[in-house]
Amino acid sequence: MSAVSPIPAQTAGHVADASAPALVRVRDLCIEFPTGDGAETVKAVDGVSFEVRAGETFGIIGESGSGKTTLGRALVSLLQPSSGSIELDGVDPRSLGSRRLREFRRQFQVIFQDPHAALNPRQTILASVREPLEIIGGKSAAEIDQAALDALARVGIAPEQARRYPHMVSGGQKQRINIARVLTLRPKMIVCDEVVAALDVSIRGDVLNLFADLQREFGLTYVFITHDLSVVSHISDRVAVTYLGRFMELGPAEDVTENPLHPYTEALMSAEPIPLPSSMRDNRRIVLEGEIPSPIDPPSGCRFRTRCPHARPRCTEEVPAWRELRPDHWVACHFSSPDGPPGKSEPQ
Amino acid sequence: MLDVRDLTVSFRIGAGHVAVTRDVGFHIAPGERLGVVGESGCGKTVTGLSILGLLPRRTSQVSGQILFEGEDLIRMPAAKLRAIRGRRIGMIFQEPMTALDPVFTVGEQIAETWRTHFPQQREQARERAVDALARVGIPLPARRVDEYPHQLSGGMRQRVMIAMALICEPSLLIADEPTTALDVTVQAQITDLLRELSESAGTALMFITHDLGVVAETCTRMLTMYAGQVVEDAPVDEALVRPRHPYTSGLLRSLPRLAPRRGALPSIPGRVPLPAQMPPGCRFKDRCPHAIDECAAPQVLREVEPGRFVRCIRAEELELPGAVG
Repeated sequence: MSAVSPIPAQTAGHVADASAPALVRVRDLCIEFPTGDGAETVKAVDGVSFEVRAGETFGIIGESGSGKTTLGRALVSLLQPSSGSIELDGVDPRSLGSRRLREFRRQFQVIFQDPHAALNPRQTILASVREPLEIIGGKSAAEIDQAALDALARVGIAPEQARRYPHMVSGGQKQRINIARVLTLRPKMIVCDEVVAALDVSIRGDVLNLFADLQREFGLTYVFITHDLSVVSHISDRVAVTYLGRFMELGPAEDVTENPLHPYTEALMSAEPIPLPSSMRDNRRIVLEGEIPSPIDPPSGCRFRTRCPHARPRCTEEVPAWRELRPDHWVACHFSSPDGPPGKSEPQ
Repeated sequence: MLDVRDLTVSFRIGAGHVAVTRDVGFHIAPGERLGVVGESGCGKTVTGLSILGLLPRRTSQVSGQILFEGEDLIRMPAAKLRAIRGRRIGMIFQEPMTALDPVFTVGEQIAETWRTHFPQQREQARERAVDALARVGIPLPARRVDEYPHQLSGGMRQRVMIAMALICEPSLLIADEPTTALDVTVQAQITDLLRELSESAGTALMFITHDLGVVAETCTRMLTMYAGQVVEDAPVDEALVRPRHPYTSGLLRSLPRLAPRRGALPSIPGRVPLPAQMPPGCRFKDRCPHAIDECAAPQVLREVEPGRFVRCIRAEELELPGAVG
């Protein structure tokens, strides 16, 4: 026995269908920003293509500056592509007029990292949860009230708490309220950007469980952006590993985290501190030299080459092709093989 | 070397005082690396700040004893404390950008610590700063010493903070979440560096963090705090495998890596009591699956086996799972 709540059996075993149709299609996406003085360009996302399948949890991991948040914002039309395209449910949102877009984008929602900053401190919780429906329009005040209270009840917030202000509830409850606010819109997809990073470990599990339950109940698709490897590998069906605006690797979550193909993924996994006694840790940590280079002037060829322990001359000259080395498992490295990253001769 | 006894810190709130830590006690031996873990609001940062005498005097009250090499830091005159702080006790904080002054070069800032404590050796300060940068693994230290903080990356800035903290070769280094703002690959570099520096120079480390993995990889002992109290104090490897306090166990079991993939994650129900509403007995009682009537009585931190201290009346009888299996 431990000081933890028991695991409900029905929560285990959700597996998204690999043949499910694509809800999101991203092609050669680039998103650039001018630097403060306008003289240079930051390529936050620089040539990314992928699909998110209906009903899956698509994890995106990466360190700061990898472009993962920019990518997430672009998926919900908060940022416009500089080039390339994003199709949501077969529609390019840029082709819609502003009124159609407003109605359309309710299906594609986002929840941000900081649950405190996302709620207006001067509004009651109920008022905050009502707001999206008020913007959409078409419902009476009583209907909106009911929809908001239903959504709050679904995430475990009682009606009497709905009359309170955000400072009167805990961080975990605030994040539940943010989830409820999005649920009222009945979205198809939710981009979750570091949604548990600000929460304490002991309540993080509750919020992640809620996400999983809602996915089953409403058939939601998630794009789960995080720097936390243990969270992403736990919750995702597939995981994309970003580095300096590009995908290094994309594949089934278990395969990517346990048996990666790209040397960056391998180093990232080995850097995660594991709470095990020294005798039970494997000490094969790959310590990367230096830090992520500037996205203003990324390295030529492979972007990871300046920190890669396996870099060779070809990595400077040629951008690695995006190759499917295992079924549904893609990598951008000249020298990876189906056995793993370069230097890994035997399959595991 | 450091012996903290019955440390209680209260803050003035309105007309009264609210205790945020209560009877905190622990010791750190020379060269030992103590990880202080717990969730937000458990009092771990306040404990670190009180050792350094950095809590605001007007609004806080500190009682108990903080014996550093035999002298009580709480009752020490300010001038004497200043001579210890930065010299014999170094410190590193979470956010390296706010801790560095943007208008001075990193070399000037590192050297300032040296000049303050060794005024008669001022001319050595720059040389010392270059040495310190080299020791924390900054490439081209003789050039970097003349750069400003904004020219350095986050990981490099944290290395500068460590260089600054270590330039006077303190016997104790207090690090409060020194890697929380850093990426995981850079975090690995910094924790490796802290461990190596501690091992090579015999510097004791008090490492305050919420990350149990970082403690497992960096520290020799683990102090678990909950609601302003120490609930468990044990060698790291023993606490990870066989925690003796239900809260330590709950924290370890909440980590996603132990749960089946895509399965439900365990969590600890309820929330931490507010400082003004602390129950008189065990503070974890309302969230604890093992609570019994006797838990309503005040709990003391007891040595249940040599080197293992637990604040739980049921410590001996409970078989609690840890981070393994």
